[in-house]
Amino acid sequence: MELLITMVANLLATDGALLGAGIAALTGLGAGIGMGIATGKAVEATARQPEAVGKIRTMLLLGLAFAETTAIYGLLVSILLIFVA
Amino acid sequence: MLAVDFSGLAEKIFPHHVVEKGWFVLNDSVISGFIVVAVLLIVALILRLTIIRHWKTTPTGGQMFLEWLVCFFDKSADEMTEEYSGLMGPYTLGAAAYICCGVLIEMFGLRPAIADLGACMALALCTFLFIHTLGFTKNKARRLLHYVNPINIVTDLAVPVSMTFRLFGSILSGMVIMDMIYILVEGIWYLGLPLILPAVLTPLFTLFHAFIQSYVFASLTLTFVQEAIEVPPRRQKKNKKTLQTAIAEKAA
Repeated sequence: MELLITMVANLLATDGALLGAGIAALTGLGAGIGMGIATGKAVEATARQPEAVGKIRTMLLLGLAFAETTAIYGLLVSILLIFVA
Repeated sequence: MLAVDFSGLAEKIFPHHVVEKGWFVLNDSVISGFIVVAVLLIVALILRLTIIRHWKTTPTGGQMFLEWLVCFFDKSADEMTEEYSGLMGPYTLGAAAYICCGVLIEMFGLRPAIADLGACMALALCTFLFIHTLGFTKNKARRLLHYVNPINIVTDLAVPVSMTFRLFGSILSGMVIMDMIYILVEGIWYLGLPLILPAVLTPLFTLFHAFIQSYVFASLTLTFVQEAIEVPPRRQKKNKKTLQTAIAEKAA
């Protein structure tokens, strides 16, 4: 039992950071789904009303920037876990 | 075949201290920031002395580009921050030019000026200052009502933090990916790829990011300022009632 605990502790101390970096990269999932939905809706809106394309593009870029932020946070966390921790 | 050593990557992530004398510390990002500012000032001076001195009513190439660039920022500032557009248009153009050139300096082999937490935080704090000074000058004490709900304090404090990390993270990720590609192509030099691969991928990770991030920073600044200078709605019930009674009187 003690051996198991030391093994787990060693694993967490050495590879735990890398495991965490891998889990942090999962933020890409949510950001990808959100950006896909936003782009699809923008295409729909443009098809319905082609003359509003300028306004739709501005709003789409703003929304994509907000959605992308979560992915960037995940990337920063994983970079910090790999290279600093 | 693919003996790639990524251990050199760790040194490139955070800026190095070039000058270090007590409290006076300069890192390589700050130095490329100085270079960017000097280049921008010199370009502005040259444009002032050549194109703007020979301003024509029928514009040619250079004048067309300048007019388009200035009008783009002025117009979007006009649409979003009506009476403060004279302040916000030049600010967004300046910030966008600094971000764009600060990223593009990576193409000359220097570390991008924006890949430093200090540079991003300076830009984000400028925006924070603009949001709140303009908000309070427009709405005066009425703006304090906005803080009756304590969640709004957290929302306002999160704005500079999120702007800092958005800018820093996206520029850093582009830089790290390019560094990774440089290390990778060293291992496969025999296919002639080191000549082609970086040239193909640089526009994707550096050029594209520079324009997108500067545009996003400018439009986010304008959006937050627009939100801050919005006049809170007055009691509409009274107006509606008077309107209704007026209509009723007219009908009677």
